[in-house]
Amino acid sequence: MSYGLSVFKTDGSLGFSTSDITWQTVAQFTVAANATVSNTYSEAAGMTVIVQRQLVNVPPSAQEDYAPNVTVSNNSQTITVAPQSGLSSAQCIVHVLAQDT
Amino acid sequence: MAYGFEAKNDNGKVIINDTIENLHFVGKATHTNSYPGYGNFPNYSSSLDTLDGNTICYYNITCSGTPIVFIKPNDYSRWHGVIKQSVSGTTWTFYVMSSGTSTSNIPDLYCFVNANNAPSSSETYGMQVFKTDGSTKTFDSRKQPLAITGGANVISPSDPTNSSGLPGVTNNAAWNSATLDHDFRSSNRYNQYSDSNANTSNTMFSCPSLAQAVYSRVINGYKVSSSYPNDQEHWSTAWWWVMYRQAFRIRSGYFDSGWTNYQAGFWFNSRFDSGGWFNGGGGGYTSGNRPYDNKTINLQNSAYIIADSSRYD
Repeated sequence: MSYGLSVFKTDGSLGFSTSDITWQTVAQFTVAANATVSNTYSEAAGMTVIVQRQLVNVPPSAQEDYAPNVTVSNNSQTITVAPQSGLSSAQCIVHVLAQDT
Repeated sequence: MAYGFEAKNDNGKVIINDTIENLHFVGKATHTNSYPGYGNFPNYSSSLDTLDGNTICYYNITCSGTPIVFIKPNDYSRWHGVIKQSVSGTTWTFYVMSSGTSTSNIPDLYCFVNANNAPSSSETYGMQVFKTDGSTKTFDSRKQPLAITGGANVISPSDPTNSSGLPGVTNNAAWNSATLDHDFRSSNRYNQYSDSNANTSNTMFSCPSLAQAVYSRVINGYKVSSSYPNDQEHWSTAWWWVMYRQAFRIRSGYFDSGWTNYQAGFWFNSRFDSGGWFNGGGGGYTSGNRPYDNKTINLQNSAYIIADSSRYD
């Protein structure tokens, strides 16, 4: 590369550079069953945000485990996690990832 | 920005700054157990008995923060998905489902955490970036920052079964009918997404399995025997059911979102009422309980990310 940033490991191999692409992590949190959580992260304003949900206590043996819905709003700053309409929701781990647009 | 640090990549996108943390490699989770099962319907051995089967692998890793995990298949023909994640203290347990019942070539699990929770390093040079509080780390070049190679939103087809049309209920079949006529395998049921960076040598992916489905086929049999002193009625029910979990596969140039069966069962009952010279009776057997009524749930777009696992070996 003729310009940019490269950072190397101790052994001299490349660790990360401005040729790379990444998703940064805005937040991780756990949402309790049937709960609604809304968090605002001003640092994510204007970025592309994806939200990964991982169910905690599935697979079920005798129940329907619904994942909560996720809504990204307010110029990507606000993440709302809420049960699907008319349904209960299972405990869920939430990862909020952001990428510059 | 008036002060601080910001690095943009070749596309002009910020990849390091002092406000949002990067993800860093914390290690491969340790495989502890594998449990194969459901390569066919329990207690049934006739037509269309074969299922895709699954192997549930348990992994542990101890770390601060909440890890994001990437599955690195060691058999890229198999479907994979993280179906459960739990924590005790700082030890995380992951249940990873793979299609097929072989306990060989199980996947590796690469774990990443936010920079501030990445393990400390004894390396004495490199680059660290902190937030304005001066203590919360957002980047540490010594801890193998995550670089991704692709990703998009994916969704599985709503019907996980290979046979066209939904399995249903048939009434008034011949008494004791128990021949399955629906292919419950999922090998042909997936949506493919073109991804030029997906390959079958070192690509790993992160995409939790959310969608679940239960499908079943029921055949009710019946006959009447005319006999003295009363006609005698006979009933039978054969009931096959399968529970599926969303699973993913990497092919060269594609990321596939499909299904793998998680559980399955067969329920059979045969009985007849009093009549003729013999009074009622019957028999049957069951193999597990269907988790819930037929339906597909949590079928929503999911974001997947792929990366090059060889950078972290």
